[in-house]
Amino acid sequence: MSREANPRSESRLDAIREEATRTGHVAGSGLAASASPTPSSSPAAGYYGLPLLKAPVWTWEVPLYFFAGGVSGASTAIALAARIAGRAPDLELAALWIALIAALICPVLLIADLGRPSRFLNMLRVFKRQSPMSVGAWTLAGFTGVVIVAVVADEAMRAGLAPAFTGGVTWAAEILGAALGLVLLSYTAVLLGVTAIPVWSENRRLLPTHFVASGIGSASALLELFGFLVPATQMVGFIVSAWETLVGASIELRARAVDEPLRRGRSGWAARAGGTLAGPVALLLRIFEGSSPGGRELAAACFLAGALITRYAWLWAGRASSANPRALFDLQRQ
Amino acid sequence: MPGLGTSFGRGGSTTAPGDLVNADAILIMGSNMAENHPVGFQWVIEARERGAKVIHVDPRFSRTSAMADQWLPLRAGSDAIFLGALIRYVIEKHREFREYLVHYTNASVIIADEFRDTEELDGVFSGWNPETKSYNPASWLYRGAAPSDDVPPDLSHYESDPTLEHPRCVFQLLKKHFARYTPELVEAACGIPQNAFVRAAETFTAASGPERTAAVVYSVGWTQHSNGVQVIRAAAILQMLLGNVGRPGGGILALRGHASIQGSTDIPTLYDLLPGYLPMPAFGPGSRSLADYVSRHRTRTGWWANFDKYIVSLLRAYYGEAATAANDFGFGWLPRISADHSHQGYWLDMNEGRMEGLFVLGQNPAVGGPNARLERKALAKLKWLVVRDLVETETAAFWYDSPEVRRGELRPEEIATEIFFFPAAGHAEKDGCFTNTQRLLQWHEKAVDPPADARSETWFICHLGRRLKEKALRDPRPRNAGLAALTWDYALEGEHTEPRAEEILAEINGFRTSDRLPISSYTDLAADGSTACGCWIYSGVYPGPGQNRARERNARDAHGHGWGFAWPSDRRILYNRASARPDGSPWSERKKLVWWDDAAHSWTGLDTPDFVASKRPDYRPAPDATGDAALAGDKPFILHPDGLGWLWVPSGLKDGPLPTHYEPHESPVRNPLYSTQQTNPPADAKRGPENAYAESPDPRFPYVLTTYRLTEHHTAGGMSRTLPHLAELQPEMFCEISPQLAAECDVRHGEWVTVVTPRGFVEARAMVTPRMRQLRIHGRIVHQVGLPYHWGFRGLVKGDAANDLVSISEEPNVRIMETKGLLCNLVRGRGGEGPAALRRFRSFLERPR
Amino acid sequence: MSVSAFLTDPTLCIGCKACEVACKEWNGLPQDGLEWSGFSYDNTRRLGASTWRHVLFLEQPRALGPQIAAAEDPFRWVFLSDVCKHCENAGCLDACPTGAIVRTEFDSVFVQPDVCNGCGYCVVSCPFGVIDRRPDDGRAFKCTFCYDRQKAGLVPACAKTCPTESIKFGTIEEMEQRAEARVAELRERGYSDAHAYNAADTSVGRTHALFILLGEPEAYNFPPAPDAPAVHLRSAWTMALVSAAVGFLILCLAFLR
Ligand SMILES: Nc1nc2c(c(=O)[nH]1)N[C@H]1C(S)=C(S)[C@@H](COP(=O)(O)OP(=O)(O)OC[C@H]3O[C@@H](n4cnc5c(=O)[nH]c(N)nc54)[C@H](O)[C@@H]3O)O[C@H]1N2
Ligand SMILES: Nc1nc2c(c(=O)[nH]1)N[C@H]1C(S)=C(S)[C@@H](COP(=O)(O)OP(=O)(O)OC[C@H]3O[C@@H](n4cnc5c(=O)[nH]c(N)nc54)[C@H](O)[C@@H]3O)O[C@H]1N2
Ligand code: SF4
Ligand code: SF4
Ligand code: SF4
Ligand code: SF4
Ligand code: SF4
Ligand SMILES: [Mo]
Repeated sequence: MSREANPRSESRLDAIREEATRTGHVAGSGLAASASPTPSSSPAAGYYGLPLLKAPVWTWEVPLYFFAGGVSGASTAIALAARIAGRAPDLELAALWIALIAALICPVLLIADLGRPSRFLNMLRVFKRQSPMSVGAWTLAGFTGVVIVAVVADEAMRAGLAPAFTGGVTWAAEILGAALGLVLLSYTAVLLGVTAIPVWSENRRLLPTHFVASGIGSASALLELFGFLVPATQMVGFIVSAWETLVGASIELRARAVDEPLRRGRSGWAARAGGTLAGPVALLLRIFEGSSPGGRELAAACFLAGALITRYAWLWAGRASSANPRALFDLQRQ
Repeated sequence: MPGLGTSFGRGGSTTAPGDLVNADAILIMGSNMAENHPVGFQWVIEARERGAKVIHVDPRFSRTSAMADQWLPLRAGSDAIFLGALIRYVIEKHREFREYLVHYTNASVIIADEFRDTEELDGVFSGWNPETKSYNPASWLYRGAAPSDDVPPDLSHYESDPTLEHPRCVFQLLKKHFARYTPELVEAACGIPQNAFVRAAETFTAASGPERTAAVVYSVGWTQHSNGVQVIRAAAILQMLLGNVGRPGGGILALRGHASIQGSTDIPTLYDLLPGYLPMPAFGPGSRSLADYVSRHRTRTGWWANFDKYIVSLLRAYYGEAATAANDFGFGWLPRISADHSHQGYWLDMNEGRMEGLFVLGQNPAVGGPNARLERKALAKLKWLVVRDLVETETAAFWYDSPEVRRGELRPEEIATEIFFFPAAGHAEKDGCFTNTQRLLQWHEKAVDPPADARSETWFICHLGRRLKEKALRDPRPRNAGLAALTWDYALEGEHTEPRAEEILAEINGFRTSDRLPISSYTDLAADGSTACGCWIYSGVYPGPGQNRARERNARDAHGHGWGFAWPSDRRILYNRASARPDGSPWSERKKLVWWDDAAHSWTGLDTPDFVASKRPDYRPAPDATGDAALAGDKPFILHPDGLGWLWVPSGLKDGPLPTHYEPHESPVRNPLYSTQQTNPPADAKRGPENAYAESPDPRFPYVLTTYRLTEHHTAGGMSRTLPHLAELQPEMFCEISPQLAAECDVRHGEWVTVVTPRGFVEARAMVTPRMRQLRIHGRIVHQVGLPYHWGFRGLVKGDAANDLVSISEEPNVRIMETKGLLCNLVRGRGGEGPAALRRFRSFLERPR
Repeated sequence: MSVSAFLTDPTLCIGCKACEVACKEWNGLPQDGLEWSGFSYDNTRRLGASTWRHVLFLEQPRALGPQIAAAEDPFRWVFLSDVCKHCENAGCLDACPTGAIVRTEFDSVFVQPDVCNGCGYCVVSCPFGVIDRRPDDGRAFKCTFCYDRQKAGLVPACAKTCPTESIKFGTIEEMEQRAEARVAELRERGYSDAHAYNAADTSVGRTHALFILLGEPEAYNFPPAPDAPAVHLRSAWTMALVSAAVGFLILCLAFLR
């Protein structure tokens, strides 16, 4: 009964009551504010503003998985490109090892995220073309096997063990690995794009380019950080951060309502920060600091950080998008 | 139930929920049928789909309102004005069903010249004694009937004027009495705009007549008022004026509460009734001997001429062979009423330390009882308390877990009450019988064994009785004679020595004492001790060995014959003789129900005729005929000594022959009709320091408060707040207020508010909603606050008990408390914990009035 | 086995929530939180992993057909019982990588709890926001269409319990016909904003839960034009593979240069 402690509101109450008695209604100022409206359901607000869609249940492991999978898949592609060019055998082997290690992290992350981790193998119970996650799971499984073969064969070949045979196997494994790696690299974009979450679904054409660019860029940047400061990685660095700059710019400039979670709130800030680091910052560092000592490493580090952050940004954006029924209504009413 | 009992003869719903489908209009008032009788409400929906108009009059826009064609918000406690105005409307616009009215009701009867109306005496009828605060009803009798203290008045012969023009005839008195109940008064006193009222009145009256019928549905929104019986009476008058009683789609559906609450008035848990609506003897001249008692209650004419058969058969059931004609069949052993032993009465006694112990079987008064704060504190003054329930209720836990303990008013270590908690078996864990709204007995079979030590009520009572009887047999003091004589020979079976519920039903049904063979109808009962019967109106439910009609589950027709057994004699619509013209043919093809079949020399039709089947419509009694034979063939209300429906109640009510409007004990306005009579004259407010009242009006308590139920919970919550699937649906106590009131009190939706009355305070979340409307009463804005009463301090979801706010008060006829029209104030913020909250509450009361 | 469907009619619904409770009782679902929402009388708020039937409560400043609710400003209180739509093109079913979600002989969409591994992909793939993962259990749950009851020839628990037949249950053809007939009837009776909510014209296809709505679907949190996510599979995969190929070409160029 806090009212008693407050004679001012008490006397105001009397005044209001008196007015109500006299005129039959209360028009005095300040009243609208004090009687806050009851929450309501309407075409504009939806059902009490509650989310229509369910929020993604995925936790921190999943963006990290996207990142790791991207790095892993892209690394095999780099390895194959290097092998075709035949110029950088050390880089090729390093890329394979990166692919392998990243590929081995992936299932750990995936299993950790499952509601029923013990049932991870159910992923391989069936193969479903319509389910990007099923395609992804099979791809990851096949890919991991192939990469193991590739690493073992390459190391064996270098160790001089039956070089003809191991060389051939390396070739075959790397071609297959790169093919699967490219799927692994890009399917996660399909995974997000083919959902009911507006910000994902409406970016289903943009997302693959972004994920591919940032995956290749991350793998390449990682190689640079391991010391492979070859012209090829520099060129890759230029192209991917230029592309990331374009991706960021397009989100900002198109200013679509559905992309709001990529521009506002926690997810928006993450998207902008990640996009800026991987895009303009990395690009400028490469342009201006590319030749100075440590400049490329810095650019590479920025790109890696940016790529990782944007993965989180997309998950968070998905959550924000699912929570806002208005965006969905507007989209569907267009 | 006296509202219906005095109007029609029996204190039960005249119709069944399923019959509402036949209605052309349904007035739901004082009931939130969709929320509290959702399954029965399907018939309202069905009727609406068939074109019936549904009108809901309620202070709140509830789920029932949401389904109605018209919703009229009214000020809680102003129902009598609304109904009075409908009565006036019917008379004024000549909408009455003349032929019905003249033949079947006492509209034409001339009333004693001594009678004076409230309209002449400013709020009291003639006969009022201000000293005793009671009426002498002598002047309410029919002209020529002799008042007597020793026998019921003889109402079989009366003067009448079939033209209804005689100034002292009931119809003219009625017309005069309700003359001031105008649409203008409805607008001023109920807050219902005139045009809305007129529209509703038109809708309802247009749906009445030979071709059409309209039904009234009420429940505790009417009864829980200090003039509740009068409100129901007003509805009865309305329905009789329109000729809507005893006909399909008509009548008054009194929706009852708990499963078998109808059963618990038929075989009463009430202190002033014996089974079958036989009055409980009281100390005094009327009960010295059986003959005394019988002569006071047996009428010369009409069905109650059989009174002696019912009481003697009951005594034979109680006392068996020990009941003989020589010892008045043990009548002397029956307890006598010595004072007001109603819930209200004994709880105040308890609070004053005048009670030793209490059995609480399937009740939770610490939450559901009025002035629950007082009731909880009173429990601490008992020597012992027995609680039998499914869960440890607030009543069982008051001594260590109540707000009083938290506020320092009760200290567990100082409470001397010895508390016994017995786990009870739920209805699915035992055999038994419900008697529901439509007087329908429905048997239920045990589905599972009760867990652990839980036992049925029959087990508990049976073994308690057995032990008490053993004690009584060892102690020959005279006061134990009745107990010693009581028949208590129930067969016990099974591991837990349970009595057989069906054996009890057979005893209730009645049997011939010579061979213990069941009787098939109460017409078989005799006054010479050759029959025994536990409740005469239930006779026929167990007509032969092993034949339990309550167990029947094959409905043959739309009225449900073949499914269960409706008392009396499986009649689904009472007084259904009135569905036919005086000559015995149906009023209309569309509304036919029961009619005279001349070829078969019998009444017949779609329902069991509520009439002696062979009595011809043109039967005329000899002048000295008695009993039912004294009633002509066109008198459908066979329990009344004149066979008529009573617009006017010449005897049997404590507050007047006609209903009239009185304000609740607490009201924001003065009674617009009477300057000196604010409230129902004989209604005792039972004022006291712990049962204080606001003034009417009272600036400290400017708002009208009413309490009610939600679909999601059940009454005091023991059966719903403890269940996760219900608790989650309504997890917190809230109060419903209009946006305007929220503005006035500076309260936001969802905030905590404290509701205060002179009895206590409770906290609740503010539910600000347009479903609550501010009303304009006598030119002033009146706000109403709505409060569900389901919460308590135990269970999965807890909250304050609304009954901490309610007073222990009473309606004079049935002694029910007034939960539906109180005054309160609303203060932003929570009520607070501990002694400090109590101090703030007390200082709130000390504010200037 | 007949192909069955629900038709839910708010003009018959009294908001008793018996369907919600019956569903929980039959399926042994846990309570979903004991929190007061302040959203009219609806404290369970939305469908979820532990609430497979959900009754919405709409307080709106509009008239309900011919209803007269006091004189002044119009007002209505509408109740509607929502449930999984059992889509012909079910986003959840398509998305499920384990094959836990299957189509039954009643054409309903059923989650096999012994197969689901809680990957959560169905959750983001339902355009109606129905299915969800239960945090403590880790698996995804939604209405089973009372598969067990239907298998035994029984009506689903929710429809069986509904006292006013607001939830009708029958063959899908019958329900579709009744929906149209009912809308026509309601309009005639003055419910001018009554319409059938049916996703049949969208990529979701026919659904086995049909609704009559009063006013815009948005107020019920029903998507006005739902899309089955799978329709975008082709374009998304094309874009992905093209991007990957371009990426690989760029890599080759970079290394060959
Ligand atoms: N779900 C559910 N069903 C129940 C119960 C339950 O607890 N929960 N309880 C059962 C029991 S024991 C009973 S007795 C019945 C009671 O059934 P109801 O009588 O329907 O019960 P209430 O909700 O107490 O009150 C009915 C309506 O009266 C209105 N009202 C309040 N004051 C006034 C007034 O002065 N005049 C008029 N005209 N209306 C007023 C209230 O706003 C409320 O809508 O329900 C039974 N059914
Ligand atoms: N303010 C306010 N107060 C009211 C009312 C109101 O409208 N407003 N309504 C009044 C009305 S109409 C009523 S009926 C009362 C109800 O008030 P109560 O009767 O006090 O409340 P219930 O919660 O119904 O109590 C019944 C108890 O019986 C238990 N029970 C169930 N089955 C069995 C059984 O087989 N055996 C035993 N031993 N126990 C069993 C349940 O668990 C429950 O605790 O409340 C009254 N109080
Ligand atoms: S709880 Fe029982 S009595 Fe009450 S409405 Fe439901 S079925 Fe009828
Ligand atoms: S409504 Fe959602 S959960 Fe239900 S079948 Fe369709 S996609 Fe699946
Ligand atoms: S959470 Fe279960 S049901 Fe849903 S997609 Fe994954 S495996 Fe299938
Ligand atoms: S069909 Fe069965 S599972 Fe689905 S909502 Fe109804 S009761 Fe629940
Ligand atoms: S059971 Fe029927 S009436 Fe009750 S809320 Fe559900 S759909 Fe509405
Ligand atoms: Mo009750």
